[in-house]
Amino acid sequence: MLDISKLLEEIKQTPFDEVEIISPWCGRVSCADINEDDPVSGPCGSWLEIPGTLLASVEREHNPKPVRAPEKGRIKLIRKELEGQFIEAGTPLVTLKHFLTKQEVIQIILRQALHLFNAPERAKYYFVPEVDMKIRTAGHRSVRVNDGMDLFIMSRMKREVTLPYSGPEGLIYSVYFSHNENVGAGDPLIGVCPEELMPIVEDVVARVQAEWEEQD
Amino acid sequence: MEKHKVLIANRGEIAMRITRACQKLDLDFVCVYTAEDAHSGHVALARELGGDIYRVSSYHDANELMAVADASEATAVHPGYGFFAEDFRLSRRVTQRERGMIFIGPSWRVIRELGDKINTKRLARSLGVPTVPGSDKPIYDEMEAEHVAQSLYEFQLSSGIAQPTIMVKASAGGGGMGIEEVQDIAMFRSVYRRIRNYALRNFKDEGVLIEQRIRDFNHLEVQIVSDRSGKNPVHFGTRNCSIQSTGHQKRVEVAPGFAPDEISYAFDAAGVLSEITEHSLALARKVRYDNVGTWEWIVTRDGRPFLMEVNTRIQVENGVSGIIASIGDREGIDIIAEQIRVGLGEPLGYSQEDISLDGVGIEYRIIAEDPAAGFTPWVGRIEKFSWKQENWLEMYTQVPTDKPYDIPTEFDPNLALGIVWGRNMEEARARGAAFLNSLVLEGSDSSGNPLKSNISFLRAKTDEILRF
Repeated sequence: MLDISKLLEEIKQTPFDEVEIISPWCGRVSCADINEDDPVSGPCGSWLEIPGTLLASVEREHNPKPVRAPEKGRIKLIRKELEGQFIEAGTPLVTLKHFLTKQEVIQIILRQALHLFNAPERAKYYFVPEVDMKIRTAGHRSVRVNDGMDLFIMSRMKREVTLPYSGPEGLIYSVYFSHNENVGAGDPLIGVCPEELMPIVEDVVARVQAEWEEQD
Repeated sequence: MEKHKVLIANRGEIAMRITRACQKLDLDFVCVYTAEDAHSGHVALARELGGDIYRVSSYHDANELMAVADASEATAVHPGYGFFAEDFRLSRRVTQRERGMIFIGPSWRVIRELGDKINTKRLARSLGVPTVPGSDKPIYDEMEAEHVAQSLYEFQLSSGIAQPTIMVKASAGGGGMGIEEVQDIAMFRSVYRRIRNYALRNFKDEGVLIEQRIRDFNHLEVQIVSDRSGKNPVHFGTRNCSIQSTGHQKRVEVAPGFAPDEISYAFDAAGVLSEITEHSLALARKVRYDNVGTWEWIVTRDGRPFLMEVNTRIQVENGVSGIIASIGDREGIDIIAEQIRVGLGEPLGYSQEDISLDGVGIEYRIIAEDPAAGFTPWVGRIEKFSWKQENWLEMYTQVPTDKPYDIPTEFDPNLALGIVWGRNMEEARARGAAFLNSLVLEGSDSSGNPLKSNISFLRAKTDEILRF
């Protein structure tokens, strides 16, 4: 049985994540006008149309490309010593201290409750076209899965194979992978909510909404 | 030769061969790698030889490559094979940008003209060079695709072919990727959609080619080299690449393409080799081909050749042509070094009469895959990798032999190329078998299951080499 109170207390002990922002590209760096302990915001707005706070620019071929905060939080560390230097892709630029949102807390707790279907191999995963279409139009919680159903395309080493779902019947409640990104062997792809778990999920959502206080 | 610094815009064993060729030609070089390739041999070799090394986000990102080229003051770019090797836009960009560089490959106009298999087909047909029946433009419309497929199906039936088969290919694909065959015309639509979606995901272009599947053929190639004048192309003989996986991916390549002195064929094999070589050179002269390239042919059991495509780049299997070649008294030619030399503007410096071909070369592609399960790639960690060194063997690999290596899942699971030379077919086969028997390749996956490789497949296929 899921002990929501205990899990909530555990999360409250360390209610934040440290997010390391790396440069996705090579290029010459210009740091934004920010300092340690400054607050930053992630993308927001109804359609996430307002970009996150500018942290740095990386210029390639005369094109400055912005590096922005992906989450709300505070600057813990900023590497101003890189100003004006040519850096490699993957170079750490900023560390953010990000306080967990209600949605993130719900997701952390639900990982303990949902049936997780894990990646059998390190690969990129896609939903099969029929499921992908349904998710695009009605969201992933509209998709009911059952044992043996062709659900994923597993793509690695330039080869693709269909991967069937195995596990209890239910709705896809959470999706843990992103388009075109690798998932490690054993990492969860989706969290499935069988019918009998719905009351627990609703309970988790209600408790977190009531008890979790979001911080800047 | 003028001093240059070459950006090697590739990875793995080809990056290592380019690095060695640069060293041979006394050229500086720059190596790039992605996070997944941090432990690849090409990075270690660049470090050992003192080249510049940069981590990039992707080998597919031209902006990254240009940024690194500028930061390192590179003066030339070698694309290797795959990635940007046949991308005329990158070739054009490299040469025409503000800080222009040399693209070590054919000029962008030649890549544009021949790099597209559809244009090649049209051009070949205009010169009377035989090509495979089918579409000569990419198809984006499902109804048009069905119409072409139906016509090809009926054409084969009317030609007396009992089991007509159609090939559906991703137009932007290459190297055997994104190809399926259809025997039941009722299944065409689903295969077409699958290939179209695969092409869109992998090549960002959903164009599809539809061709007649010619059964029972050998896959041959002609290796062409030409300098920037484009006036004096030479050939380094033929290769036979018929031993492939079920997904049409090459596994064993042999030079020369047939062995009429040792094996009996139902057609004039020497005549066919001569015919495809002459056709290839004629097309090269016509377009003023100006670097290395491979003309790919299929030859049917009754000895009819059809040009499939021209690969406007260095190929994986260039070494098997190099190992049987001599220029004057210089034995064993490094075709990659020749490519770089003429790519940087040096004249070829020899003619066809100076080139001689001697013996038989066999290239084995050693791959982590399970031939018994449709050549499914194997994912895991290599713990041991070794082989017996011989003076008739060249081995190219990015896999370290002194420490464990996790095979990256982002790329083909190719581990190594072993190229053997023999004075004749019999000796080459015997040496090939000896090489494969000496290989030690061990590892395990995340569940502890042992490594799977194609070594036993290669061993079994050694007896079939060059037999039609």
